[in-house]
Amino acid sequence: MSDFLKPASIVALVGLIIMTPSIQDFLSEETSRFVEDSESSHDGLPTEWDNKQVLCVYFPVEQAHEEYSQGVTMIDEDGVELGVNIDLNRTGACVGGFEGFSRGLDFMMNSTRLAGGALSVGYDVGQWGPFVHTIGGLNADKLTGDFNGAYWSLDHNGVASMVGIGDLVLSEGDVISWSIGTW
Amino acid sequence: MVVGTGTGEPMYDFHNFSLSTTQSLLLNFVILSIIVLSLIRSEQSLRNQSQWAILFLLIIFGVSGRVLMDPIPNVQPVTVLVLLVGAYFGAPRAMALAASIALASNLIFLGHGPWTLFQAVGWGVIGLMGALLSDRIIMGERVRIGSLAIIAAVSGFAFNWIVSLSILLEADSSMFIPYLLNGFVFDLYHALGNVLFVAWIASPLGEMMARHRSSPEFEAVREVALN
Repeated sequence: MSDFLKPASIVALVGLIIMTPSIQDFLSEETSRFVEDSESSHDGLPTEWDNKQVLCVYFPVEQAHEEYSQGVTMIDEDGVELGVNIDLNRTGACVGGFEGFSRGLDFMMNSTRLAGGALSVGYDVGQWGPFVHTIGGLNADKLTGDFNGAYWSLDHNGVASMVGIGDLVLSEGDVISWSIGTW
Repeated sequence: MVVGTGTGEPMYDFHNFSLSTTQSLLLNFVILSIIVLSLIRSEQSLRNQSQWAILFLLIIFGVSGRVLMDPIPNVQPVTVLVLLVGAYFGAPRAMALAASIALASNLIFLGHGPWTLFQAVGWGVIGLMGALLSDRIIMGERVRIGSLAIIAAVSGFAFNWIVSLSILLEADSSMFIPYLLNGFVFDLYHALGNVLFVAWIASPLGEMMARHRSSPEFEAVREVALN
């Protein structure tokens, strides 16, 4: 039994490693069906962004962004500031009004560019895919405080995303948002 | 390579290698082999029949195996080790071993947090399973490779799903199924990795454990049970 199992287990594992990207793509798409496009994820955003894709970045109180320290600044897909919502109890910026993005990282890089560098993204590509460490000049790895560590945490339609930005599959009207999480 | 040429050029920074995943895996494999060979030598020199000494060596093996196999997700020898300890030494020792390995490897190397508890519980359940299925895992003093491979594959899924329960601490229960679905490929890694370790190391590990299995009364009970 063991004579057969030794080579067979190696072959099976190598096969799995080779096939992982295609299996994971398939699973990510299946999983995205479970994430409902909840209407409430558009609450507080400009009404013209209903059914459009939006990316928001929220900064912690102690590390407010220089340009977005009062409320949440809304920036449309042409890079024009639509206004500031000061009733959201948080500060940061949203870029919205997009259609047709399906890859999370692609959407993130294209949408944040419209803030003209103010929301520039830094990420490392590791074993688990791209890992975002910096947004808008705030590097989560450098944060210290009453916690073990901090990271940029990704929400997809208002709930914690189950996959990283590199595996995230978007549908129309999706809202993704970043905020600092700690552990 | 420039080493201290005296021309003001920097010394070659020997620790500043950046290794690819494959390279670091190979490096770790070599280190793991050294550890395993040393542990086998240590085991041979254990004169007394102390279970605790062998359990301690197995914990070192589990921690180093888990840390060094880190480049391939979920492929590590701990699950098979815990199953075998459950089968040979019973559930309490397997659970102690499981929790020690989870805590030590997370605290020192991999990152400690609430998940450590779930990993300890997950492997504890696997240890219990090993103890309960002892008759299917061991025949006489030898490991039954075929049935252990099946049990180990199932254990991979069971462990991952138990650990996945930790997301319920912060996410809604409706997220659980998509979360499991999304992690399916990593469950497969764990299951296949376990089968690989069963094929390659279960027999020698089993022989080693059999040599240290016993306080005499425990041996006596087993022999009665076997006859």
